Amino acid sequence: MRPLFRAIKWGVGGYLLGAVAAWALSGGSGSLNGPLAVTLGFILGLIGWIFGIGGWNHWGREWFGLPPRDDGKDDWRRYLRFNTDHKVVGVQYLVAFIAVLGIGGIMAMLMRLELARAGTDFMSEETYNKVMSMHGILMVAVAVAGILGSFGNYLIPLMIGAQDMAFPRLNALSFWLIPPVAVALLSAPLLGSFEAGWTAYPPLSVLAPGDGQLLFNMGVITFGLSSILGGLNILTTVTTMRAPGMTWGRLPIFVWAGFSASLISVLFTQYFAATLVMIQLDRIAGTAFFDAKAGGGTLLYEHLFWFYSHPAVYIMVLPAFGVSLEIITHFSRKPLFAYKAVVGAFLTIVGLSGIVWAHHMFTSGMANYFHAPFMALTEAISIPTGVVFLAAIGTMWKGRIWFTAPMIMATGWVFNFMIGGLTGIFHADVATDLQLHDTYFVVAHFHFTIIGGSIMGLLGGSFYWFPKITGRMYNERLGKIFAFWVTIGLNLVFLPMFWVGVNGMNRRVAVYPADLQRVNEFISAAAFLLGAGFLLFIGNLLYSAIWGPKAPANPWNASTLEWSVSSPPPHHNFPLLPEVVGHPYEYGRPGARHAVLSNAGATHG
Amino acid sequence: MRREWLVVGAIWAALTALGEFVVTNWSMLPDGYSREAEVVNEAYVLLLVLAVPVFTFMVTMLGYSIVAFRSTGAADDGPNLRSNKRVVWTWLAVTAALDLAVLINPGFVGLRDIRGTQSADMAIQVVGQRWNWTVTYDNGATSTTEMVVPVDTRIRFDVTSTDVLHSFWVPGFGLKVDAVPGRTTQMYVTTERTGDNADDSRLRVQCAELCGLSHADMAMTVRVVEQAEYDAWVENLKNNPPAGAQQAAAAAPTADGGQSDQQASASDQEG
Repeated sequence: MRPLFRAIKWGVGGYLLGAVAAWALSGGSGSLNGPLAVTLGFILGLIGWIFGIGGWNHWGREWFGLPPRDDGKDDWRRYLRFNTDHKVVGVQYLVAFIAVLGIGGIMAMLMRLELARAGTDFMSEETYNKVMSMHGILMVAVAVAGILGSFGNYLIPLMIGAQDMAFPRLNALSFWLIPPVAVALLSAPLLGSFEAGWTAYPPLSVLAPGDGQLLFNMGVITFGLSSILGGLNILTTVTTMRAPGMTWGRLPIFVWAGFSASLISVLFTQYFAATLVMIQLDRIAGTAFFDAKAGGGTLLYEHLFWFYSHPAVYIMVLPAFGVSLEIITHFSRKPLFAYKAVVGAFLTIVGLSGIVWAHHMFTSGMANYFHAPFMALTEAISIPTGVVFLAAIGTMWKGRIWFTAPMIMATGWVFNFMIGGLTGIFHADVATDLQLHDTYFVVAHFHFTIIGGSIMGLLGGSFYWFPKITGRMYNERLGKIFAFWVTIGLNLVFLPMFWVGVNGMNRRVAVYPADLQRVNEFISAAAFLLGAGFLLFIGNLLYSAIWGPKAPANPWNASTLEWSVSSPPPHHNFPLLPEVVGHPYEYGRPGARHAVLSNAGATHG
Repeated sequence: MRREWLVVGAIWAALTALGEFVVTNWSMLPDGYSREAEVVNEAYVLLLVLAVPVFTFMVTMLGYSIVAFRSTGAADDGPNLRSNKRVVWTWLAVTAALDLAVLINPGFVGLRDIRGTQSADMAIQVVGQRWNWTVTYDNGATSTTEMVVPVDTRIRFDVTSTDVLHSFWVPGFGLKVDAVPGRTTQMYVTTERTGDNADDSRLRVQCAELCGLSHADMAMTVRVVEQAEYDAWVENLKNNPPAGAQQAAAAAPTADGGQSDQQASASDQEG
């Protein structure tokens, strides 16, 4: 616990130092929470926090030729400090982001409470805007880093037969950048109006009173840094750390998914950071990037913002494609159908993701000649995405299906993500998008893609790898109930939203026309039901992590490498590097093996 | 083998027939008041018609597999089938063909129908400011509480904003365009049917781009009326500007000024 307290002390100290520097720079006129103080304070506070949590111990001491200090015992406290074991980092990410999912979920419940009535009955519009903005950015963070940070870190080294990530210290750093982000985002609404949504479109985000927007900017930039470092680490690990015989064509599909998503985060995240820096400068330095009166323009922001934020949706869903296909393969007891085509599809999605952004801007007043090409490119994404669906049903066809909780979640993913995909075409099509853009139709669409696509992968993976990570089994019956609960609940909440959308309800509003109230009452009731279901998830996993029956190394009789080591895996994963001799999914061929392990006790059916 | 495909095909055909019946007979989309809304509705229904067989195929395959291909024990594996070139290429060809079909119609066809003609019978100037709309007619009359337009007329809206991004959306007209500070964006609407906000809440100007505190209330009522009624109304508006009009126009661009209109817009919406 000591490093944690030290990090807090140094972080607060850094903030105060920054605030004092800002005060001095402004000739003694600023305050401790003025715009410049917040900016400098956050930067120095972040540096202080990182040095305190372990930066000094793991880098600083080395620079001066000193050995790093031993951090302490390897008990539960290892999760509360700067730890370079990829499995610890994975668990840190998983727990942290499920907690963030919970906070974002509570925000969603508050929003539905307000929206159950047409007027402002439960909260003011100002509060609603804050809650809505907070819900947006927290859930985006969960979707971006939830799977990649947790299962990506925990499983990619195990799946490729490596002993850790390529850059273990960088890995720990990318996690420990997250707590200051959480502090910044959660405290942003306290510094005044925080109303620009997660998209932070200027001029609203420049003009909004109070300094919450500044903290938002700094927090999201830091989150982007974490995302880039994490992506870089995964790319390097997969490229250089594969076990002997683990060719690119033998990588489990989740590794390919994580690799593809990491390519996107490394290529595109900086554009969002750059736009937020521009907003920060407009607010504190008097620049006018987005001030039309001084020659700036807001379309610039929209282009740069979506140049990251559209690819970002593939950072959210690609890892979940990987998780779900992994689950479907192992629980269908059949090789993944059309493996090579799926890999090709992932890489095609990475390529296309960068050249479709302006479909978010059909109503923005950008030049008319942009519409046709962006419509064509956007609709082309349905072809590689279709291959992923083919792989799912092709694998299940003639399989021997184990209809377990993760498998229900994965088939629910196919169903819900398909609804998200098909309704996406209504937004790619210019004619329908002009009407449906910024309505509840788009809200329904992206919740089907992000909950259906990304969050269901996170939940399904949480069940599937639970025995590996905790060494215990979760309660299968409660798991199944929850899997159905989410799959069906999602439809009860979001299908009616398509209807209110086409009937003229726009998004991001606390009040709406009274004739839409009946359907909104239903949506709110369904949302509370869906939200309550998550207690089942948390309860099941928490209880089982402590009191669940002990899990064997390979409860699913699955063929990939993470199941060949004990549950939970030993500190260095593999005493001797495994030798990979075949395809990862050799089901139905007696005697075929994915890998040969040198250590005794390896199990593979 | 063949029997399985027959069953799957039969279920697929039945579900598809049911789905197509539902999407073509149960109109989720209420009728619009403009030709553009009709284009949108047609495109919407066409996309649904094309989506139904895809959806039902996936549902059939998922459902059939879950029911028919259950495991009998831990050691029971499926066939070692890694891929099938013919299936993959057929799938790619079918999805590419569907994609192309959607791109041509409703894609390019809809784009042409909505954005193709750049001519209009009349123009209305629209200014968005936090948190109300000001419309100015040819004769100089302005309104901040109600927008009245003549039926069977092609109207060009010249939209701009004085502060932050807004979006000029009339749900009943089927389209929207953003109000961008420092720019004028255009939206063409051909009215086809008379109507009144009192009967249909979709006849309202609604801000559709998050613009801060009272974004939700940034609305004004819309009426589509016969030409003669419109002429009389707009003439009257010019000669007897409502008391609130100058006040709102004077106070408009500042954040505080918009507050006074908030009540009015909110009650508009309830109506």
